Amino acid sequence: MKIRTAWAAFAVLALAAGGCGSGSGSDDGSGKTTITFWDNNGGARTPVYQELIKRFEQANPTIHVEYVGVPIASVQQKYDTAVAGGDTPDVGGVTTSYLANLVGQQALEPADDWLAKSPVNGKLAKPMLDSVRATVPDGKLYLVPNTSNMDVVWYLKDLLPTPPGTWDEFFTDADTLTKAPDQYGYTIRGGAGSIFQVLAEMYSYSGISEFFDATGKSTVNDPKNVEFLTKMASLYKKDTPEADVTNDFPKMVAQFGTGKIAMMHHNLGSYNDHVKAHGADKIGAFALPAGPSGKRTIVANPVDGFAVFKNSAHKDAAWKFVEFLVSKESNSYWNSKTGQIPANTEAQTDSWVAALPHLKTAVDTLADPGTTVVSPPYYLPQFSSITKADTEPLFQKVLLGQMKPQAFLDTLAQKLTDAQAEWKKAHGG
Amino acid sequence: MSAPRSAAPGRRGRVLRLYAPLGLYLLFTIVPFYWMLVFALTPAGSTAPVPWPVTFDHFATVWNGLGYAVFFRNSVIVGVWSLAVTTVLAVMGGYALARYRFRGRTLFMVVLLCTQFIPGAMMLIPLFTIFKSLHLINSLGSLIVADTVFNLPLSIILMSGFVSAVPFSVEEAAMVDGCTRPRAFLAVVLPQLRPGLIAVGSFAFIHTWNNFLFALMFVSRQDSFTIPVGLSYTIGEYSADFGALAAGGVVAALPVVCVFAVVQRYLVRGISAGAVKG
Repeated sequence: MKIRTAWAAFAVLALAAGGCGSGSGSDDGSGKTTITFWDNNGGARTPVYQELIKRFEQANPTIHVEYVGVPIASVQQKYDTAVAGGDTPDVGGVTTSYLANLVGQQALEPADDWLAKSPVNGKLAKPMLDSVRATVPDGKLYLVPNTSNMDVVWYLKDLLPTPPGTWDEFFTDADTLTKAPDQYGYTIRGGAGSIFQVLAEMYSYSGISEFFDATGKSTVNDPKNVEFLTKMASLYKKDTPEADVTNDFPKMVAQFGTGKIAMMHHNLGSYNDHVKAHGADKIGAFALPAGPSGKRTIVANPVDGFAVFKNSAHKDAAWKFVEFLVSKESNSYWNSKTGQIPANTEAQTDSWVAALPHLKTAVDTLADPGTTVVSPPYYLPQFSSITKADTEPLFQKVLLGQMKPQAFLDTLAQKLTDAQAEWKKAHGG
Repeated sequence: MSAPRSAAPGRRGRVLRLYAPLGLYLLFTIVPFYWMLVFALTPAGSTAPVPWPVTFDHFATVWNGLGYAVFFRNSVIVGVWSLAVTTVLAVMGGYALARYRFRGRTLFMVVLLCTQFIPGAMMLIPLFTIFKSLHLINSLGSLIVADTVFNLPLSIILMSGFVSAVPFSVEEAAMVDGCTRPRAFLAVVLPQLRPGLIAVGSFAFIHTWNNFLFALMFVSRQDSFTIPVGLSYTIGEYSADFGALAAGGVVAALPVVCVFAVVQRYLVRGISAGAVKG
């Protein structure tokens, strides 16, 4: 009897295990079309999307949007698994840093035709559209820009009343603001994400405007870049905390939040964290300074936006949602909540942009005709691995004095040159 | 008079040899948890080394704002089902391995051990395809099945060691008294497997509770995610909410700590029994 009861219990258990999901579908039975939207940075900005989805559903009562927040650290793996398994969303948040990978897997639908007939046509920032098109071999618009970012140096106004205008002034300030035992002029990002920041700093110092020369050779190991890296690495432990060698952005932002660090290089996205830690009136931001050439050069951050997936059974509804998200009102709302640069040019003129000094600095810098924007080769499939797994540990060796800046940059340049040559060969360049 | 003189150096020696190293080790392991509590209970931006002034805002953020109420419920469902299924199957498999001699038994044990070296990430796409064809994607059932499958090899090995420790003569005696083999198992073997059941069950529950990869990859519905996915929400692309991260960590760690506190005596016994007997 007990045996039979045990088997019956197990059978119930097995059935329940299979049936305790919530299931999914594209039609909820009420005649509504359901589309799925994956947010590529789920968490803090989930309420922003929830509000926008509410507004969208009010304006489009026949479409229901199902929101899924994907943690940023795993978004590429999630997309890759979904593409391989043929279970992609209708719309997804995508950035140019992994756009080429998704396009390479033929997962996305180009938006050029939709955009040509859309009311938002001509109202999206051209540099962002160009950056998206430059990321893929066929030059199509697989991602509709929502926002972009810019590298800035955050500083504490109490410690640094006047921000430096050149890199030389920056190095002097970093030195004078360091006071024993625990106040530091600067904090270096030595851990995850270090290479992109170093690239941004080096090119702003050297004023070099291309990642590759005419022959396809990387400019990363240009003598001016080596000169900068030597100066920057010499700050480590002298004007920065020793723990910086493992600094990723959360650690770096947390250190800056203690008020013991005068300057920190990050981007506009950490604004809300700084306000929470110090108050809006205590913090300032300046664009990466110019080097000896006097030229203002900035390295373009990835463009973040929305893509319609090829597998979607409701592509028109999906595009309608994308169009709504990049409209002036939605784009302005989203960027005002996240403190980033709107892709919609009408939203860029909203009063809240001018009211946030760090954002105005960024918009003014980008709009300045004297500013040169250097586009990193996001189109290289190996770009992410080269600038992360391959070279981040080497940069730590540079900080620890175990590798010369010249040797480090030669290695990085060689990897980029090889990847560029391979890409050109594959795409007939 | 000589007793107190010899007791004093003995106590000192014990303190130096036992309590001092253990105290230091305890301090070393407990400090991160202490910091987690401090961050969870103090307002954002506070650098105070003690949790004062106390705020529960971070807990409200994770429970209501980030949806931990739903994630917690899902984690409990997946954890408990996985525990139950793993334990039942591990008892069956462990009994068979311990009591029967069949061709390929050693090879089977080796294969079971080998599965422990396969990383979950390698199995993602095959599992995803299988679950999709079974309509299990976006269902907590997929997590229960996947976690159970990954828990089973070690659980079966542990359980077989534990069954081996129960003399077969006890079962034989029950059968001589008229019991069938299953009846004998239930009446005389199963009660003696309690430490093993607790060890395997706890192992399955904790492993399932902490599994992030499957929870994110096999589910694409906001209301079906589990606690580890919720934890990762607190670190965004450009910002990190350390208060929420710490509060989420406390919420995530609490059930595991409670499970350990209750079963740690059995867990150590169970694992060591399963580890040394084949």
